[in-house]
Amino acid sequence: MSGMKKVVAPEYNLSDKIKTHAYAIGTAMEESVYPHTATVLYPREKKKMPDNFRGYILFDPDKCISCFNCSFVCPANAIRMKEAPNNRYYPTIDYGKCIFCHFCIDSCSGGALRTTKIHDVAYKDVDEMFTSTEEMIEPPEIIREDKKSVEYVIDETDLHLKRKKERDGLFVEAVPPVEIPMVSQCVDRGSCLACKICERVCESGAASSVVEEATMTVKMAIDAEKCTGCGLCVKECSMQILRLVRVRK
Amino acid sequence: MMEMINGLMNTMLSNQVSIPLIEPMLDMLQGIPMMGYMIALVLWKPFFAIVICPGLTVGGVSLLFFPWIERKLCARIQWRVGPHEIVWWLGGVIQILADTLRFLFQEVIVHKDAHKRYFLQFPFLTFIAFLLPLLFIPAGNIVAIKTPYGLQIVLLLLCLFPLFVMGLGWASNSRFAYIGTVREAFVYFAEEVPFIIAALAMIILYKTSDLTLMASEQCIPGIILNPIAALTFFIAAAMATSRMPFEIAESDQELCAGPHVEYSGIAFGLIYVLCYEKGYIISGLMTVLFLGGGAGPAIPYLGDLSGAFWFILKTYFVMTTLFVLRTIYPRYRLDQGLKIGWSPMLIMALIALAVSLVEVAVI
Repeated sequence: MSGMKKVVAPEYNLSDKIKTHAYAIGTAMEESVYPHTATVLYPREKKKMPDNFRGYILFDPDKCISCFNCSFVCPANAIRMKEAPNNRYYPTIDYGKCIFCHFCIDSCSGGALRTTKIHDVAYKDVDEMFTSTEEMIEPPEIIREDKKSVEYVIDETDLHLKRKKERDGLFVEAVPPVEIPMVSQCVDRGSCLACKICERVCESGAASSVVEEATMTVKMAIDAEKCTGCGLCVKECSMQILRLVRVRK
Repeated sequence: MMEMINGLMNTMLSNQVSIPLIEPMLDMLQGIPMMGYMIALVLWKPFFAIVICPGLTVGGVSLLFFPWIERKLCARIQWRVGPHEIVWWLGGVIQILADTLRFLFQEVIVHKDAHKRYFLQFPFLTFIAFLLPLLFIPAGNIVAIKTPYGLQIVLLLLCLFPLFVMGLGWASNSRFAYIGTVREAFVYFAEEVPFIIAALAMIILYKTSDLTLMASEQCIPGIILNPIAALTFFIAAAMATSRMPFEIAESDQELCAGPHVEYSGIAFGLIYVLCYEKGYIISGLMTVLFLGGGAGPAIPYLGDLSGAFWFILKTYFVMTTLFVLRTIYPRYRLDQGLKIGWSPMLIMALIALAVSLVEVAVI
């Protein structure tokens, strides 16, 4: 314990004390005349959110390719795929579980899921927080009381609020996904059983069966022109001989 | 009977508050029978002082709005918003009225261990005792009881305050209230000695203890004549009203309001405004002693009320300064508070006394 130093309160002489008192009183007087504030008066004004704000998730079924990526990637297990009347699978979100990580939006290859700046949705009970596909297409009912938008500005010394007499838009244009053109390719045609699962599963009709004259066997062929690279056939292939590969130009 | 009424009327009419602004209205009202007696009673100076200014009306209005002003101003300084939701376009100005209404309809809980009778009586007794010094504090030339020993009586009545607060704590019979009461007693002794010596310095300086004379004969305000006495008096006032740096007796964080921890409902409402009432009275006393009382440019339309107007303005200024201390300083510990009371403040008070003596000897 010999190496330890005792902590001693700093000693101030009288002039230092008067100076610090004067500084404190001066600051109080200055703030009472020109006050800063850090409070956003919420229902009447809203904080301006960035465009990549992680809020309520909207869904566009036309862009969905039913690839299940959102459901697979969801760390909270909030997304479940439900079969739609047109035999395709669309996501549903349970907001009771959702942690708003937006991995689903990042993983969506078709850009069907997109974010909004809506973060204050009220539900009557927990069961109502389960949001079906139909409810995800349209935004929830919104009553807007805010007339101003507030922005936090940090300058050299302090944090300030900047108020603008305009409403912040709640909806963000979805950033089109960066497409890496991929096609499905058979890597081991010899092993193909011709089970035709790929043909059944393919949405765009790229997989088809071909009769090979020489061996009198049925083999599957994938049309690279038609393939969208959704990867469904890769998942479903019973022999696991299909791979997604990059298109070489 | 008529002679008695006429005699009373003559006494009242000889000592009336004159307000030129409302004189035409009063002349009109004289036509109504019996109204002349009423007006004469209301405008009779002692009655006017008790009921209107600086008594119940002005005091009540300050009790109603000063908690709001304090909360709003402190919030401004501390980057917050303060009371806001009730009448939000006026900044929550009727917050205290709303709180009072809520307290009125709330149940007053008397817990098992309390001394029931005293527990229920003390808030009301305290409220009345806290009003008494207003009888002697002059607003301009309006004063209820004019006596050459005004200052001594006001100081004596101010000394009653801690007794009643201790009574509250004793009647509550709970551990927090007990600790708060003991702290109140300690702080009271630490604060009262410099407080009285600072007031004594002003008696020596003005050579009178009549509060009306003290206020009217200050050609130079006392705060310039004896700034050390003013500073001591101000710090002692902050201690006496248990404002923030010396909020030792009712420290919210550890004693959850000290002597009045057990109270609820309207009893709590009364106790809550007590410290504002005390603040009002001590600020009024400070205005009379150090800021020239009702002295100020005369406003011809207000007549006698001109002095009262300046008095109230200065009192409110002192009160605001007292309340803003809350935002500037954190709370002292009990031992630090006592140390400040017994050593630097006592020394300052003695220096103030010496300054007064020297000034009187030189002039």
